[in-house]
Amino acid sequence: MMSTIPYKHKMAAHCESGAVTSLLNNAGLDITEPMVFGISSGIFFGYFHKMKSFAFPTFIVRNKPGSIRNNLAKRLGIKFHTEKFRTPDEGMKKLDDLLDKNIPVAVQVDFFYMDYLPEWERVHINVHFIVVVGKTGSKYIISDSYLPKLVELEQSSLRKARFAGGNMSPKGFLFYPEYIPKEIDYRKAIIKGTKKACFNMLRIPIPFVGVKGIRLFAKKIVEWPSFARDTEHLSHEIMKINVLLEDQGTGGAGFRFMYASFLQQGSTYLSKPEWTELSKKMMEIGDGWREISLFAARIGKSRELGQDKLKELGTMIAGRADVEELFFRRLKDSLN
Amino acid sequence: MKEKDGIIDCPQQQVIIYVEKEDGKFEPMQTGSYITKNFLDDYELKRLHLEQSLNKQVASGIVSPVYYYMVLEDLTISELAARVGIRKGKVKKHLEKEHFISLPEETLLRYADVFNIKLEELLTTGKQKTDQTENQQPVS
Repeated sequence: MMSTIPYKHKMAAHCESGAVTSLLNNAGLDITEPMVFGISSGIFFGYFHKMKSFAFPTFIVRNKPGSIRNNLAKRLGIKFHTEKFRTPDEGMKKLDDLLDKNIPVAVQVDFFYMDYLPEWERVHINVHFIVVVGKTGSKYIISDSYLPKLVELEQSSLRKARFAGGNMSPKGFLFYPEYIPKEIDYRKAIIKGTKKACFNMLRIPIPFVGVKGIRLFAKKIVEWPSFARDTEHLSHEIMKINVLLEDQGTGGAGFRFMYASFLQQGSTYLSKPEWTELSKKMMEIGDGWREISLFAARIGKSRELGQDKLKELGTMIAGRADVEELFFRRLKDSLN
Repeated sequence: MKEKDGIIDCPQQQVIIYVEKEDGKFEPMQTGSYITKNFLDDYELKRLHLEQSLNKQVASGIVSPVYYYMVLEDLTISELAARVGIRKGKVKKHLEKEHFISLPEETLLRYADVFNIKLEELLTTGKQKTDQTENQQPVS
């Protein structure tokens, strides 16, 4: 029987940037979540109108799961040990072995099986990241960025969550930092991360990502009723915009606020006073996304889901595309 | 967002958001979830209605318990098929009651495992719950 590894748990705005930040902080690197998010080009937008793995149109507001760790490692020279497994037995044994060696380990899981969360929060999504910091009897001790304290999770639930099938199946994926350089060139990493974020938002030639993705979302939202079983289903999906923007993964508004914090912190490394202004602008952009999320929650609750309200919502979303396009052009120019 | 605008009293669900502090710095603040505080009752009401509707469909033999949980857990046929490790065409058939009742226990267990329920719950869906959920009062 193992016990808990001494581990400083901290809540975070997002699970992946939170897990990466927390592992690095506990390994001795003093870095904030916004810096992890910004350097890894976490800010993003993608709209998916029809996909076989989603029952309803949806959108994402951060880069591809796994990219935060990958990009950060590349840009800061950090090495993470990463591993996937063919069988649950192998994956669980490896986890136990690492915990025996007092190594806290981040694992990728299906959010749905996190039994410590209330039922209304739990959805099947295979890209939640938690840090396992110990085991007592049949329960693992979990540091989940979305919770104020360490929690326990039954072995059977963790096993199921790590080896859930379907889209982005975790296959037992785990990671932990193996090497952190003594000297880190943050300046270079910030510039690289920011350039890539600008590229992702402005120049990827795919119609459903970046600023183009926001515009597509704005245009397609009026078609959402055709996907819904009934008014309550449509209301649920419209209100999920709020959940995606604010709570789960701390999307649009939340991520934009965190990016504003990154720009503010980054400005000190780059000695770029215009970044202070840009960070304020990004905060305002986040406020605009928040207005959208509150509007979506309100019309969802009141069931005012006619074409006029959806068009109004679409117009608000299109407005975000316009300001984000201008913003990322300015940000890109600031690096020339 | 200013710090004061982000304060939401919701002990049931806490979140971190980055806000503008009084000194002008954009820093994390632990606060409550806006949607949980203001709209949880509406979510629960809709969930109850969905359960009632699905229960009726299962009870009247229109669909199987597999369909019930697939809809309730927001899964598509492709996603469910990949999760249980059964071909999509077969899963489609298992959504119908006539095919569901002849499924071997091993297959039923695979579904129950993915849905995170006991086998007994899967087998009794639509039998007892219809009465229970209809007698339940909405939260709001």
